[in-house]
Amino acid sequence: MSRADTVTVKLHRALYTRQAIEEAAAVFEGFATFNVDRDGDHYIVDVTDINRDVEGDVVAEFCNFSLANTASQQAGRR
Amino acid sequence: MTQSLIETLDTKTSTLTLSLDSSLYPRDVLYAAAYVFLDRAYVLLDRVETRFVVHIRGKQLLDEPTLRAMTGEFENELLAQALRLRVIKANQRIIESVTTLAIAGAAGGMHEGDAAGGLHDGDDEYDDSTDFLDDPLGISKPWQPKKEEA
Repeated sequence: MSRADTVTVKLHRALYTRQAIEEAAAVFEGFATFNVDRDGDHYIVDVTDINRDVEGDVVAEFCNFSLANTASQQAGRR
Repeated sequence: MTQSLIETLDTKTSTLTLSLDSSLYPRDVLYAAAYVFLDRAYVLLDRVETRFVVHIRGKQLLDEPTLRAMTGEFENELLAQALRLRVIKANQRIIESVTTLAIAGAAGGMHEGDAAGGLHDGDDEYDDSTDFLDDPLGISKPWQPKKEEA
């Protein structure tokens, strides 16, 4: 999660759902471009075109949203 | 309290990494505990073999005592959420019954025996022959003072 132009995030498939990740990506689509792929046990999220004028860490907030979405989905299924 | 360990702690970046035994903490407990921290930290979960790895980075700059305190808070939250989940599972049927009764009551009253299920519309209790101005018991009083008093 550096200030590089492209950031790659690995989210474990046992802990994050693809739907949750894609919903988070949709929320942040105005601030960066997200590409979600699968690689073994992880979802690989390539984040590009990150808007650096935005206050805060877009990628880290995206990860928080992905986690919150997943947690909400899992709670709803109980 | 030795099963939950700080793997790394870095005050320069306000980050810490925790490693948790996944056999001790169900995934739902981990989600619930992490959720509590989302407003003040960036949380990233991972899994390595049989352990959950939790990466936490403060949204503000945090010193070492604060980071260690956050670790303790996270462990406490794990325990609290684990207990909460256990209580919910143990009382699932009671919670559902009470909720059903409450919703049924709010939806239009209960009759004896309604706890077994089923709502009623209440039409059988409504007496259509009386008007709201009727006063069969003679208990109504006028709003305006009597002429003698004036």
